[in-house]
Amino acid sequence: MAKRFLRVTNLLFLILLAVQFLPDITESCSSYVIGFAVIAEIVVLIVSAFSKNKSDLFLDIMGALYALLIAWTLASAKFGWLRESLFPPPGRVFRQFIEDADKIFINIGSSLGIILRGYILAAVTAIPLGLLFGQNLRLGSAASYISKFLGSIPPIVYIPYGIALLPTFRSVSVFVIFLASFYPILASTMSGVLNIDEKLINSAKVLTVGKFTMLFSVMLPAALPQIFIGCNQGLSVSFILLTSAEMIGAQDGMGYYVKQYSDFGDYTRTIVGLLVIGIVVVIVSFLFNKLQTLLLRWK
Amino acid sequence: MSSIKVEDLTVDYNENGRKFTSLKNVTFSVESGEFVSVIGSSGCGKSTLLSVLEGINFPTEGRVFIDGKPISGTGKDRGAVFQNYSLFPWMTARKNVAFGIKQVKKDISRGERYEIADEFLDKVGLSEFKNKYPSRLSGGMQQRVAIARALAMDTDILLMDEPFGALDAKNRAVLQELLMELWEGDGSRERKTVVFVTHDIDESILLSDKIVMLSAHPGHVIKEISVPFKRPRNRTDIVGTKEYSKFRSELMSLFYGDIADRIGSEVIL
Repeated sequence: MAKRFLRVTNLLFLILLAVQFLPDITESCSSYVIGFAVIAEIVVLIVSAFSKNKSDLFLDIMGALYALLIAWTLASAKFGWLRESLFPPPGRVFRQFIEDADKIFINIGSSLGIILRGYILAAVTAIPLGLLFGQNLRLGSAASYISKFLGSIPPIVYIPYGIALLPTFRSVSVFVIFLASFYPILASTMSGVLNIDEKLINSAKVLTVGKFTMLFSVMLPAALPQIFIGCNQGLSVSFILLTSAEMIGAQDGMGYYVKQYSDFGDYTRTIVGLLVIGIVVVIVSFLFNKLQTLLLRWK
Repeated sequence: MSSIKVEDLTVDYNENGRKFTSLKNVTFSVESGEFVSVIGSSGCGKSTLLSVLEGINFPTEGRVFIDGKPISGTGKDRGAVFQNYSLFPWMTARKNVAFGIKQVKKDISRGERYEIADEFLDKVGLSEFKNKYPSRLSGGMQQRVAIARALAMDTDILLMDEPFGALDAKNRAVLQELLMELWEGDGSRERKTVVFVTHDIDESILLSDKIVMLSAHPGHVIKEISVPFKRPRNRTDIVGTKEYSKFRSELMSLFYGDIADRIGSEVIL
């Protein structure tokens, strides 16, 4: 029992706390770091008390986080090795996050709304089209070359044209996300359908399944593992594109938040924005992986 | 019920521009309620023959009749069990069976479908595993599910393409007996018409009423032989008998005689 609390992670937690009490050379907002560290440590203790198997990795990650915070605190607030305006102490970043929380959530909502619209639009069009094209060898080969060409145009260069075509910048963003996700999903669906084992199709034929059932109850699930590859690709490209697009011309969104405040030299908020984007992407990927595991649980 | 008549069936393949005859002038018939094995060495086109009966492959010449009507594709009167890949890996055992039932009986409710599925999974001894995906089942269990599905669909004709070919000896024996038991039934219903493709002579003797022996390159019928053993059959009762060894060696000599003829040698093995 005692061994479990004598871990490096817990030791680092104590060092992190101790470091906060060294004399400041600039405003450090130590209380925010202490607050964050205490909450994090409570979670660490709960996890290590209740989950015996999987806690090691989590503890290692938290230990690394503590170490980073220690180094950051020392280098910025305590010794002043880093330039204050470019590298604000961690406490100020935490404080800024809490002060800006409502603004940040609105911006996250705006970004996710655009991604969701563009991405879902791409999935519901690309998957059925891929199922159709994938069945016909001639149509499929033609479609794969055309989509290879169209897919090779970096979607971000559509933005100026999109601005001319579409009424709002939001719709331009949705359009670009749609384009970015459409081709990888289409391509992976087609290759998924082309690679379905013929015996599986024959088995379905002998059961006398109808056309619709063949398409959506046989080919779609059979191609699903491949389809997910394209969906994953589309999702990661979507985030890159959206934040880039937001930095070009949006009035809200996480990319806009980062760009706007770095333009004003407010690097505390810039760092807050970067970290929040990281966290959002991690959460979305995590949820997406859960969905994938659920839908492919038969593998 | 349903009788099958294969008339002068020839199937050509086109392989890389070269014509390749898989079956040549194959003629035989299966009576309604009869269990017929098609036996032959690999390359004799027995799987091709079955795929034509299934309706996923088409004759180059000749025709196949079911109850006097020529077939033109797959049909709800025929169910099939393949050597493997019969089941859909994304459906549980239960869902696989229910899905099969749904395709042939559109008018019954979801609840009834699952009830029938459960009944047949129970018959093949898989009640406990009904909610498992095929990837979690052994090869033998997967074939049990495939058989349960084919039987639950209650088609008049059952087409089986080496259904036990990928199983170990013990599992094969168990499933042969299970199939025989289910097919023979308790006499309350008419038996299904079965065409069973195999390369295992003992399997064909144990299961069938009649054996159609094919020769290879191209596949054609060497002989049709009636199996003289009474039903219900019991492996242990039959296998030890003199009649069995005599009948078996007759089949063997036909089987290997054909191979010897083709490779131009008198001494084989």
